[in-house]
Amino acid sequence: MMLPDLGSLLGFSTEKIEKGDFILLSDRNADASFLINHFLSLYLRAGCKVCFLGLVQSFSHYSAVALRLGVNLVQAREQGQLVFLEGLKDSVGQLLQQGPDSEAYPMGFLRGSQTDLRSLFRFVQRSVGGAGEWSPSILLVDDLSVLLSLGVSVEAILDFSHYCRTTVCHQLQGNMVMLVRVGEDEDDEEGPELLLKALTHQCSLALSIQGLPTGYCRDIHGQVEVRWKERGPGAAGPGGALAQKKLLQYKVHDKGVSFFARGTSSAVL
Amino acid sequence: MLLDVIQGTENGGFVIIQDTVECCGRQLLQSCIAAALHREEDVHVLAFEVCEEDVRLRLDRKCEQRLCVHNGYTDPLGWSEHPLFTVHQFISEELNVHLSGSEESKPATLVIDSLSWILRHHPPAVVCQRLQELRRGGALRRVVALLHCDLHQQGIVGSLCHLATAVISVVPGDRGQQAVAKTTRRTKSGKVTHEEEYFSVKEDLTVTVESRPSHHGRPQTEEDEREVDPAANLTFNLRLSEGEKEAKEKLSLPFVFSAEKKSALLQPRPGSGRIVYDPDASDDFDPEDPDDDLAV
Amino acid sequence: MLAESGILLSVRSGSPFLIGSPERSDVSLLVKVLMNMAMSVSNTGERRSQQNTRPACNTTSFQKKSRSKLVSIPGTRPSVQNGQLIVSTGVTSLDYVIGGGLAVGTLLLVEEDKYDSYSRMLLKYFLAEGVVCGHHVFLGSARDPPDEIMQDLPAPILDDIPSNAVNMGQVTACDSEDQGSMKIAWRYQNLPKVQTALASSSRFGHYYDASKTMARELREAVKCSTFFLPHELPAESHAEPSPISEAYRLLLRSIQELIRQEGFDGTAPQKSRNILRIGLHSLGSPLWADDICCEEKPTQASSLTSFLYGLRALLRSSLCTCMVTVPSHLIQNRAIMDRVTRLCDTAIALESFRGSERETNPLYKDYHGLLHVKQTPHLNCLVCEAPDTKDLAFKLKRKQFSIERLHLPPDLSDTVSRSSKADVAESARLLSSACGGLATSNKHLDF
Repeated sequence: MMLPDLGSLLGFSTEKIEKGDFILLSDRNADASFLINHFLSLYLRAGCKVCFLGLVQSFSHYSAVALRLGVNLVQAREQGQLVFLEGLKDSVGQLLQQGPDSEAYPMGFLRGSQTDLRSLFRFVQRSVGGAGEWSPSILLVDDLSVLLSLGVSVEAILDFSHYCRTTVCHQLQGNMVMLVRVGEDEDDEEGPELLLKALTHQCSLALSIQGLPTGYCRDIHGQVEVRWKERGPGAAGPGGALAQKKLLQYKVHDKGVSFFARGTSSAVL
Repeated sequence: MLLDVIQGTENGGFVIIQDTVECCGRQLLQSCIAAALHREEDVHVLAFEVCEEDVRLRLDRKCEQRLCVHNGYTDPLGWSEHPLFTVHQFISEELNVHLSGSEESKPATLVIDSLSWILRHHPPAVVCQRLQELRRGGALRRVVALLHCDLHQQGIVGSLCHLATAVISVVPGDRGQQAVAKTTRRTKSGKVTHEEEYFSVKEDLTVTVESRPSHHGRPQTEEDEREVDPAANLTFNLRLSEGEKEAKEKLSLPFVFSAEKKSALLQPRPGSGRIVYDPDASDDFDPEDPDDDLAV
Repeated sequence: MLAESGILLSVRSGSPFLIGSPERSDVSLLVKVLMNMAMSVSNTGERRSQQNTRPACNTTSFQKKSRSKLVSIPGTRPSVQNGQLIVSTGVTSLDYVIGGGLAVGTLLLVEEDKYDSYSRMLLKYFLAEGVVCGHHVFLGSARDPPDEIMQDLPAPILDDIPSNAVNMGQVTACDSEDQGSMKIAWRYQNLPKVQTALASSSRFGHYYDASKTMARELREAVKCSTFFLPHELPAESHAEPSPISEAYRLLLRSIQELIRQEGFDGTAPQKSRNILRIGLHSLGSPLWADDICCEEKPTQASSLTSFLYGLRALLRSSLCTCMVTVPSHLIQNRAIMDRVTRLCDTAIALESFRGSERETNPLYKDYHGLLHVKQTPHLNCLVCEAPDTKDLAFKLKRKQFSIERLHLPPDLSDTVSRSSKADVAESARLLSSACGGLATSNKHLDF
């Protein structure tokens, strides 16, 4: 299995998918897209119904990466297990306002006449429901901050993610994975930072990827902070209100990622 | 003081529970609901961020009929055909209809989870006015609201807290895994009290305060560090006792040129070394400086 | 070796994988395997050609044979790393730095230096490479008319003419190496040589003579489309709400139309397939009717990013490659620049010494500026091609623009005065804080 470290680290496996989890991925000075690919292949292998909003890359990119991780996206799409929205594909037509303006287009918000992401949510709703043989339902988004670049307000994105959460995590008891990429400036009060904070309040597990504070290194690509929040108000345990944290370093390989405790990279030992 | 605020011993209060990403305040909010239900009050919950099941999860089954959850979680903006409760209803008169749903007009407690959700869709001034209106309306005994203060500008958080009679900020403590509640309460007479307490919430939603960090074992903030007496842990004395002073006076220090010492040195003593030089005839006495380095 | 190349030859002639199609990714694995073999063969070929004192070009006779059977687009080759079809940027050392070349379907962002002198040079190299390879060239500009820029492209140094000279040069270089070989203590003998000039083992792209301009007939042999904003803007703009401003919309539309008309979206018959090279000059500047350079909180903060998203979408589905220069030093809001970088695949920044205090710094006396690689693309794989060092500097020699590893200049003077030593030490300290890595805290070690 790919990324065995991450799986055992988070207590995730293809056999055991927690119900109703909202997993928030974020990165700063680093690239967390490998995590998106990891979760995509994990859920597909576990036989979940997956809706993937790929806003950043083309389908062929995700498919090529997934193939290396041992999952065939084309096949999954044909079998109806995977619903893939290729954001890049019909965005030009919408941006240039060609063709009819309709709520039926998931990317219809690019026209500027819609202020919220209702059309995109409708797409998610259509895609995750009616799972049939595949369950539970999963929603993956790569990545939310692209929507900011397309002129969508933080509020509209938060509303969208709220509706996704109620539908996917609550009604369907599935999982939701979203990626937010933030800039270097931590004190930025608006935009991605605000989005990240607001979503962190809602999520049940947060994985934040960062570059090393001391700079670039070829053998260690960065560090990941894992933060568990207890699910719902039900969980008590020691500390209660506080989240549990863990800090690890990682290196991305051709076909996976290795995680290790700080200072235990093979380059050091 | 945290317990007093949660027990709600005063009437007409408006309590804000502030939290951040670091530390979640929802458990305290749940405790407020539980406490109100125990006092046999009606409780209305405007739930935007949690679903109804989660609100009811740990509450006493016996009190269930007194708890009314307005579901703003599934469809807060009315995107579906039949929204149950939308965020727009918060400022309209409809809310009053919802709140006075119970026939006997016993004042109820209104719990809002969370204000941040409402602030995203209404201007802050409208929200403030509406909250004040609700408090004054008479239908409510108390309003308790959760606010994620790191999502809003300082001014908005400030104005809301200005309206509140009590503000509880939940922050991570420095001792291991415990959280600290900073409670600020303002009475009608204008007296303001402030306290910081470590707390924990048990399985049955009762709150226990474990210690008061403001008096002992308080987290070391920068302020505290400034107050530390620099002379506290010195390995030497800064001041001398009388006896020590006397002893010090007595001591004669070396290299201090007293009169006795001078005269003693000037007395020629036997046996002391002396150099006698008699120039010899064969001595080659040259007045010139052969090495040119004596500046003769 | 010969047996190996025999196998390869049969595979290569059997599967026409060099043909660029927009859905290349499915064969990327195969291509990668094949490329690894191809590389080993081409290296052998190189050695052979040198022994036979043939003209020093990298294609050997037997590679030529196999290539004649394939329909490949001139000026392209599959990447060694991930099998993507790549083209040269026109600067060989830049190709090396960004992982072999610019992948077809991707976007290269160049953050301009303060006076836009070197970034403009890079843009010209990029266009000139397109002309030499016979690509279709598109140039969009709002400042100088595109025709003026096109007239000023650098002249290529074509292999045919000076091949003898190059050969001679190689021989003499070898000779001098034999004669003047240094005696090195055994402890250090086997250490790898420090190579400052960056280049890949096999030659790709052309060299240019910046002091001459390209011959007119060469330039006019290729199709060239231009977009000059002052000529395109309509008198009145329609007031439909849109996240993208009028100027960018016009530009995006004209690129879209060109791609459709010329069949760069894969509709053209295989034989006449070609690459479209798009160069866009100084996007985001006020001349593009954009206020991100002027305002901290611009009215149309997402206009440029929306345009780039649309451009990315167009590029991904067609045989295009694009270089965009942006005056990032003028952009007031760092968050916008972050988003712009994220929407591009490769991002480099030029930092010229001209007018900065570094100009007089003894440490930098050999260079004209620093080059920062801000982002390298993720293409069809998890791991992105990271350069081995981030301390890079560029210089413009009489004839060529080259990127080198930044290193301290050797001190060759006999009497080293104390002050100059301290100077260099001081500037080295400056360097480590300014460009050595991207340290964000004053912590010293992570591990």
